[in-house]
Amino acid sequence: MSEALLEGLLLVLQWKALAFMSLGIVLGFWVGLLPGLGGATTLALMLPFIYNMQPVEAFAFLLGMHAVTATTGDITSVLFGVPGEAASAATILDGHAMAKKGEAGRALGAALASSLVGALVGAAALALAVPVVRPLVLTFGSPELFMLAIMGLAFIASLSSHGGRGLVRGFMAGALGLLLSTVGQDPQAGVPRYTFDSLYLWQGLDLVPVLVGIFAIPEILELAARGTSIAGSLPAGKISRGAFEGVKDTFRHFWLTIRCSLIGTFIGIMPGLGGSVAQWMAYGHAAQSARDAEERKGFGAGDVRGVLGPGAANNSKEGGSLIPTIAFGVPGSTAMAILLGGFVLLGLVPGPDMLSKYLSVTYSMVWTIVIANLVTVVVCFLFLDRLARLTGVRGGILIPMILLLVFVGSFTSNNHYGDIVVTLAFGAMGYFMVLAGWPRAPFVLGLVLGKIAENYLWISVARYEAAWLTRPVVVVLIVISVAVILYPLFQARRRGAHA
Amino acid sequence: MRFVVAIIAALAAAAASAQNFAGKTVTIVVGYKAGGGYDATARLLARHLPKHIPGKPTVIVQNMPGANSIIAANHMYNVAKPDGLTIGTFNRNLPIAQLTRVEGVKYDVTKFQWIGSAANESTILAIRTDLPYKTFDELRKAKETVVIGSTGPGANTHDFPLLLKEVLGLNFKIVSGYSSSADIMLAVERKEVDGRAGSYTSLRPFIDRNLVRPLVRARTSEPGVEKLPVDEDFAPNARAKAIMALRSAPEQVARPYVLPPATPAEIVKLMRDAFARTIQDPELAAEAKKAKFDLEYLPGDQAQKILVEVMNQPQDIVAEFSKYIKFGE
Amino acid sequence: MPKRATIGLSLVVMLASGYAVFAATGWPWKAALFPLAIGIPLFCLATTELLWAWFGAEEKRDSMELALSTDAVAGRRVVLVAGWMLAFFAAIVLLGFMIAVPLFLFLYLKLQAREGWPMSIGLTLIVFAAFYGLFDALLHLPFPAGVLF
Repeated sequence: MSEALLEGLLLVLQWKALAFMSLGIVLGFWVGLLPGLGGATTLALMLPFIYNMQPVEAFAFLLGMHAVTATTGDITSVLFGVPGEAASAATILDGHAMAKKGEAGRALGAALASSLVGALVGAAALALAVPVVRPLVLTFGSPELFMLAIMGLAFIASLSSHGGRGLVRGFMAGALGLLLSTVGQDPQAGVPRYTFDSLYLWQGLDLVPVLVGIFAIPEILELAARGTSIAGSLPAGKISRGAFEGVKDTFRHFWLTIRCSLIGTFIGIMPGLGGSVAQWMAYGHAAQSARDAEERKGFGAGDVRGVLGPGAANNSKEGGSLIPTIAFGVPGSTAMAILLGGFVLLGLVPGPDMLSKYLSVTYSMVWTIVIANLVTVVVCFLFLDRLARLTGVRGGILIPMILLLVFVGSFTSNNHYGDIVVTLAFGAMGYFMVLAGWPRAPFVLGLVLGKIAENYLWISVARYEAAWLTRPVVVVLIVISVAVILYPLFQARRRGAHA
Repeated sequence: MRFVVAIIAALAAAAASAQNFAGKTVTIVVGYKAGGGYDATARLLARHLPKHIPGKPTVIVQNMPGANSIIAANHMYNVAKPDGLTIGTFNRNLPIAQLTRVEGVKYDVTKFQWIGSAANESTILAIRTDLPYKTFDELRKAKETVVIGSTGPGANTHDFPLLLKEVLGLNFKIVSGYSSSADIMLAVERKEVDGRAGSYTSLRPFIDRNLVRPLVRARTSEPGVEKLPVDEDFAPNARAKAIMALRSAPEQVARPYVLPPATPAEIVKLMRDAFARTIQDPELAAEAKKAKFDLEYLPGDQAQKILVEVMNQPQDIVAEFSKYIKFGE
Repeated sequence: MPKRATIGLSLVVMLASGYAVFAATGWPWKAALFPLAIGIPLFCLATTELLWAWFGAEEKRDSMELALSTDAVAGRRVVLVAGWMLAFFAAIVLLGFMIAVPLFLFLYLKLQAREGWPMSIGLTLIVFAAFYGLFDALLHLPFPAGVLF
């Protein structure tokens, strides 16, 4: 294994591969930054260019581009409250809140540093998982995947405020998300559910317009309400300092960052869960690390841990999701599906061969992720103060730009006006939810996990009848889910005992 | 003198009607998002079409996803201008959507100006190799229930085995809801399901790896599966056979390409010629081979004939068909 | 304001989940199970929240969410910007992206943000050029023509 590791590194360090990687990084930087340039779509557009490349060069290009989008997507989330990528939405909650306190530099520093840590963990997982990945993925059948979805939903408890009322609101928001995930044609009977005769709703609600609406629009409205720049009335000099503080934060909360990276990697490995879940579970986990109710309230108001968690998770899931793609040919996301197309083009067959005969090519991908992320983070740090200073620009100038990004960004999901309608509608809903004190994170979690939960439940029941409940991994996951739900209550009781 | 005038008139007419696309942009509207099979085929064609269209225009691809490409088809039928600058490609099962009167269908497949189909597709059923069924006959006689994974109604992963079960009486349990056909393959490896149906192209890597064994196919054939038994041959009566044939008819027009209904005949002919030449272009063939696509041109008039036949099925067959087959993917 | 918002929102959710449950009862049970299993608890939760808000004590900000300015000046500004958003969308539908984008940029900068002429015109040109170059010329996004133009 270690010779393949070395071989992989040497393959990547050739000048042609590095050149293509740099090109990919430049592209990926902008793709991640701008909502509307989806990582998946751009991969599809780039695929034709790799026809005449060698595998290592082609993957240096594709992966270099893709690995970087998760990092730069966090930048627009922090600065403007607009998710650059669907997987960067959770970073808005605390990242943008920090920007509004004048701590944009620190938030960006934390996002970048945690992204790097996450990427390294994900790449390490890819490298180390090679011997165990097949038995691991094969153990997780449909019942286990259903329970994982339930476990993800259990994190709603951590994403809600403490107390009975908080939990009611949290689970209500989650249930609303679950209900909205059923919109569209159902895969059991083919019935169009809640489509109101609209062709646009046939295939359900697309995630990006909803996310952009529910997170970005309330921020824009609030920016207009305050009448100032994003950073408020803080002197411009203060804003950009603090990037290094953000890096220090990452190491101050090192184990949290690592744990969130592991969460992201694990979610990435499970095919079918989708890439947007990891950031929310990581955010929920980070919120659990708050020591008391006061600290808890800080989440959503600018706690740096709320940036570290999702920042790490949305990068580590990339390395994780390469694992089923390479080892089984089962893509965990649209971007991976396109990457798979790239495999075919280059004559590589995903499956056991990639873990044995072509192991060095697999390892060259690991190194690509590592190097691409390192380069990106370093480059971003150079521009960081300039980026952070954007939060000092007058709100009146920024608002129309951000709105343009929002409108075009959501339009490119389906190239349909319906996308913009969805964004506006969920923008209104998001605004009123915040006004009413309802948490938005559980809603997104429900929306993202609903289809997965429903489908895997039906498959489990159809295939195993009632027996699936007694499978060992399922039982373990049930226990963990219950623990996740009860943990905040347990914490509160423990604090009560100490007080 | 009259002869000369006639020649000049003919030349003038020819010049006027000779479509020259120089400096223009031809758009291929794809009814799916970027990254899928229809999109990849369209992009492949878009790269090589300009050489074969007079005037060498730019050819670009635009994605218009939604409602399993009904939105794109409606657009091509009602909105796109009939000037040859907009070509549409969409879900091959849209004729079924029209036939089963799906709500929202605002097109008539028989009235499009058909450029043709860029490929045909064989649907096969493949079962895990470690199961004792080596031929279709053995599968038919299976005593134990064979579990087949599918993505959902409307996809060939679902409809093909469904008809085998309902019409031929095979002992299947169809478990649907998997998010993609790749997920079903993972379930096969996990022994959660025993097999799946699907296009030969998508199953080939797994057949080559000896994970699954193909046992039966639908009418359309491809090199590699010609020897498999055909499902229709086992139909108990004419009606059953007609239903199976109806399901598989769109597979001959697997990558449909159309122009809006009012497009003038010369443009349609020009496009048909361009497509025919492009699909035979050696550079395109080389790229297609790398991507493991199998492109084969079916001229528009033949495609149209197939679909007119689909649309003219007697009502009782359509009613019986609709009981099993719903339009989906 | 929070109290009114949560009461209003709870009512909306009650209506939506009520409708969802009602609509689901007409479907085959494989399609209806999930919506029912979620819709019914959702209705109950929304009712709980409504009653709690109506009869319960006034609460301080407790959710892990951002704080919105809610004074009168803020409220006016919010309504105004919301109006601009809707107007932008209407302009896109009526005039098409190519006209609506520069028009919106310029009008917002000049009228709402009260920027000077050079800034308004300059920014509009730069941003529109970037938008056009990236999304139209490079990516060929299908921007439909407006209803009027």
